[in-house]
Amino acid sequence: MASIELDAPGTMQLLLGNEAIARGALEAGIGFAASYPGTPASEIMDNLASIANDMGIHAEWSVNEKVALEAAAGASFAGIRAIASMKQNGLNVSSDFLINLAMTGIGKGLILVVADDPGAISSSNEQDSRNICKWIDIPLLEPGNTQEAKDMTKWAFELSEELDTICMVRSVNRIGHTRGNVKLGELPKKEQRAYFPNIWNKFEPMRSKFAAGPFPQLHNVLHQKLAKAEEKFESSPFNWYMGPDNVELLVITSGASTSCCTEAVKELKLEDKVGIFKLATTWPIPENLIEKQLSRSQKVLFVEEVDPFIERSVMELAANLPPDSPHLIFYGKRSGHIPSYGELNPDLVINAIANVMGIPYQARDINYDKEAQELSKAVPVRALNLCPGCPHRATFWAVKNAFQLDGRDGFICGDIGCYALGFAAGGYYQSRTMHAMGSGAGVANGLGNLRQFGFEQPVIAMCGDSTFFHATIPALINGVYNKSNFILLILDNSATAMTGFQPHPGTGMTGSGEPAISINIEALCRSLGANVEVCDPFDLKNTTATLLRLMTEEGGINVVIMRRECEMVRAKRKKKFPYVVHVDPDICIGEACGCDRVCTRVLQCPGLIWDKQAGKSKIDEAVCTGCGLCVDICPEGAIIKSPT
Amino acid sequence: MDMKIESCRELIEEVIDTGLCTYCGACAGGCPYLVSFKDRIVLLDNCTISEGQCYQYCPRTHTDIDGISQQIFGAAYSEDELGAVKEVLTARSTDSHIRERAQYGGTVTTLLSLALEEGFIDCAILAKMSNDKIPGTFLARNKEEILQGAGTSYMAYPVLEALNQIPKDSTERLGIVATPCQALALSKMKKDPPQNRVNIENVKLVVGLFCTWALGLDKFHQFLSENLDLPQVIKFDSPPPPANRFDVYSKSGKLSFPLDEIRKFIMPTCTYCLDMTAEFADISVGSVEGIEGWNTVLVRTDAGVKLIELSKAKGELDTGHLPSQSLAHLKEAALLKKRRALKEIIKKTGDKKKLLYLGLQESIVDRLLA
Repeated sequence: MASIELDAPGTMQLLLGNEAIARGALEAGIGFAASYPGTPASEIMDNLASIANDMGIHAEWSVNEKVALEAAAGASFAGIRAIASMKQNGLNVSSDFLINLAMTGIGKGLILVVADDPGAISSSNEQDSRNICKWIDIPLLEPGNTQEAKDMTKWAFELSEELDTICMVRSVNRIGHTRGNVKLGELPKKEQRAYFPNIWNKFEPMRSKFAAGPFPQLHNVLHQKLAKAEEKFESSPFNWYMGPDNVELLVITSGASTSCCTEAVKELKLEDKVGIFKLATTWPIPENLIEKQLSRSQKVLFVEEVDPFIERSVMELAANLPPDSPHLIFYGKRSGHIPSYGELNPDLVINAIANVMGIPYQARDINYDKEAQELSKAVPVRALNLCPGCPHRATFWAVKNAFQLDGRDGFICGDIGCYALGFAAGGYYQSRTMHAMGSGAGVANGLGNLRQFGFEQPVIAMCGDSTFFHATIPALINGVYNKSNFILLILDNSATAMTGFQPHPGTGMTGSGEPAISINIEALCRSLGANVEVCDPFDLKNTTATLLRLMTEEGGINVVIMRRECEMVRAKRKKKFPYVVHVDPDICIGEACGCDRVCTRVLQCPGLIWDKQAGKSKIDEAVCTGCGLCVDICPEGAIIKSPT
Repeated sequence: MDMKIESCRELIEEVIDTGLCTYCGACAGGCPYLVSFKDRIVLLDNCTISEGQCYQYCPRTHTDIDGISQQIFGAAYSEDELGAVKEVLTARSTDSHIRERAQYGGTVTTLLSLALEEGFIDCAILAKMSNDKIPGTFLARNKEEILQGAGTSYMAYPVLEALNQIPKDSTERLGIVATPCQALALSKMKKDPPQNRVNIENVKLVVGLFCTWALGLDKFHQFLSENLDLPQVIKFDSPPPPANRFDVYSKSGKLSFPLDEIRKFIMPTCTYCLDMTAEFADISVGSVEGIEGWNTVLVRTDAGVKLIELSKAKGELDTGHLPSQSLAHLKEAALLKKRRALKEIIKKTGDKKKLLYLGLQESIVDRLLA
């Protein structure tokens, strides 16, 4: 983790893409960094925060991405280069500020790093964040490998200052989470001083540049900035072409898809027939450069993730080519050669190129392929599940039982975090909705205000402790103020667990390891006028009874804080388990119990497995963390816990 | 006719969701999935077992009445309005302490106490009311505890759930006070003994209660708490016709509600019940029309005879002859309930051959409807 602060310019280091981005920011001399955890961006701030004190910079985990971007902008206004990093959804959260910021311009270099998740491997949606750059008129940069992740981030600050605008660096899973060789550059050593000067807006005297307006003149200014960017992009060394001058097929690609293309062409042995143009300065598109590439071939294949962003931009260009230009045939998402959703991989690109070139391609022996397909059906589907010992399992169990006992078809409005698994078997399918950060309480507001239409179902909104600070508070206030009726469960496990245990305003520590005020969630909720109770989810009886009581009570807003430390955090801290748990094979009578394997089939804790040979359940000692929850589930009392 | 045993899903679809459930508790307490709560049977999780004991012993899934009669009485279903009866008598406890607390004559309390003392049973599964008059099940192991179960709440309560919760390896002999539907469920268990539960042969004594209807716990209790100071209430009584009222005795006196006001709390399922006198118990006990402080007792099995004789011999019970007019009225009332129920069942199914849970010979049905 210390490698990003390594003072060894010219040496090669093996860096994660996100580490490379962080290093690039350091080499650019940033003084301020702000972020909110989100895969696949988290490691950028994980790294910056860990070296912040050493390097004399401010690096913070902000309460949400909007504040993070705003804070970074503040630093930029005061003459300090700043970076804000976030996942795709964070961009959505900060977009209102971002759009306004595009209008005002910045102070010193300000970079927004957005890490997309093609294929939604760890996201609640799939989106191509590049589109926003076209929408709000800001430059877009797409590094294609780990070296570029560093170099482009570093260059972006220079670009940002030359243009007086925020620039977006777009990363994806396979850039941020891939390790590659990176040649390090110099780390600047000069001291920085911050001061926020009064810069007048050039249109209205006595109006600060940073007080957005006047429009639409600034919009025009923005377009002029983009034109200037395009000029620079025409000669950027990050855009390159590989292949003969003229080819049968021109592949235009960007970002992580680049290596899919180079590998595909190599695999098909078409290096002499297929050329690859890799675009890194993706918006505004360098028109002359593109037109030059288009003259290499009449067939163009666009390979990019996720939307046909470059594809359509080039098609727009092509519409304006002189009438006597050769007729171009475009292949890509519009033609169906490249899927318009999901993540790309070399196989998909190989098939696309082979298809366009009319070449038969067999990835592997037909019989082997058939056998492999058949065999893959035998692989059991692995259900999404919570960790052994996770307090959320206990919470979902209590909620499930409370809803059943209540009998009015209650449900959870779910949210983002480990407990998002409420929609799956691991959470007993209790979550009926799940959208964005804070949406659980948001949606619950509506559902809880339908009594005049005969609505009687108990509504539970769910959020984690970090999510609570991020987005749920306004929804909670709305619930109290607009007289909705729901139970808000705040799953306080003292961690931003899903993304890697980053600290938040409740954990008592900042990102750079300093003690911080720990905000008291129950006091905050009480001050809003909500009824607040605290439960230990592992005390199933009391938790179920509390939920049941609140469901059948008059109504209004009830907050229940389910307080129990995340098992991963607890285990790291305590280094031992609370209990040793085992299944007594003499008491467990397997299927003969008639309980239909409630322990494994229903509870679904990964630490408790079914021993097919013995026909009984068994603790998997390598997985079980000794929380003891399953002990209460077994109707025979066959599961025994002994304190360690 | 052998019944097809289905899963809990069918139990819910055919019995619980259709309102046939009598809340007897036979399906609950024996597995992690079915539990009683307030006035409902709740399925906590989905169980995939295709033939469930929950379905098998429910008194409102298909019930082979003849088969059960053979098991309990060694004979086909009795066409007598009162079911199989060896002896009819009136009785009351000789213990004034018991009579004070009793609903009518204190016969049930006396019989159970004697059974305990004599070692016929080790404990009794009973229902009692809390201070706030909420019913609950408990296990009584001595006379004082049995006395706590005296008197009725008129609210349906899943007493059989407590039976299912007794540890499998328990050898304690059990006595149970059962409503007609509970006695029927117990009989189904005796005919086809349950697995993975306490041995049904441990149940040595079933004392049945006469029952015309039972009240739904949740709403009735709400009504009570809205209209009464419940900790002050000592006893409820629904005196036989022509009284047409529901009496509440409290420390401050007696309050009567018109019976019509209480009728809306009657469980809809009681409409489809044929059994007024708990035909499948060892001994069935009820009031005596027109004579306060006494019980009508129907002795049905050898075990029942043995206990009654012993209670007479030991002077625990005063007994007497049930006046023939009272007997006639009792039979009339019992027959009326059978007829009414059959008619309602046939109305519901629209087919005389489809009798919901009743596995009853067609000839008997015809005779009852005649």
